[in-house]
Amino acid sequence: MSGDERHYSGDDPHELLLRPLDGLTLVYHRPSGATHIVDSPVPEILAILGPQPQSPADLLARLAGEYDLGDRDEALAGLEGHLGSLCALGLARAG
Amino acid sequence: MTERDEQQQPAEQDFAADSAKGVARRKLLLGGGLAAASAVVSIRPALAQSAASVLHCQIPVPDPGRAGQMIAADGRLVPQGTEDAFPASGRPFTGEEVKAALRQGRTLPGTTREQSRAYLNYIRRLQGGTSGFTCYASLQMPR
Repeated sequence: MSGDERHYSGDDPHELLLRPLDGLTLVYHRPSGATHIVDSPVPEILAILGPQPQSPADLLARLAGEYDLGDRDEALAGLEGHLGSLCALGLARAG
Repeated sequence: MTERDEQQQPAEQDFAADSAKGVARRKLLLGGGLAAASAVVSIRPALAQSAASVLHCQIPVPDPGRAGQMIAADGRLVPQGTEDAFPASGRPFTGEEVKAALRQGRTLPGTTREQSRAYLNYIRRLQGGTSGFTCYASLQMPR
């Protein structure tokens, strides 16, 4: 790791196909061919992940611009948890 | 392993500034017990490709790994020859057919009322790792 913390990036937005479905979201990931059925806040996080690596704090700040996130520390911990899950699913990368 | 130092990041100031705007924004739950449950189901490529859409996905009765077993009225798989049990379905049912049967009480195509009920009981018992589970799970999502 180069900095003080992990940075996260996602695929090019064109590589993901998101479709709402009965309150959930279907995510089709073109590179892997996998489809994921996800609930909020995953689609919101995917929407702000881009090819450029960003720190969890930067990502949180972007989300805070659009949403009421409640307690910051709790939100940051939650976001990092989701980012870890997204990496495990192949929808995000840590570096 | 993860060293965290984001408290010093300028991003925190942005966060505070944004939070202070007081604009009514949608609440986004990032933390708490919801975190682990957020990714509900992942469909592997083989299934995703064979399923043009969720409603066209297929549910075999029974799972091909258990072909040869019969389906009892309560949906359990029982050995061939079991009295009052139904033979395996000759073809898998689509998500749409199962949805119509579950929600509107129709019988599954090509089955009698009792047979359909037994098959639906089998489908209700599907668990992760069994063929058709992902398809069935997708029919159970909240409206």
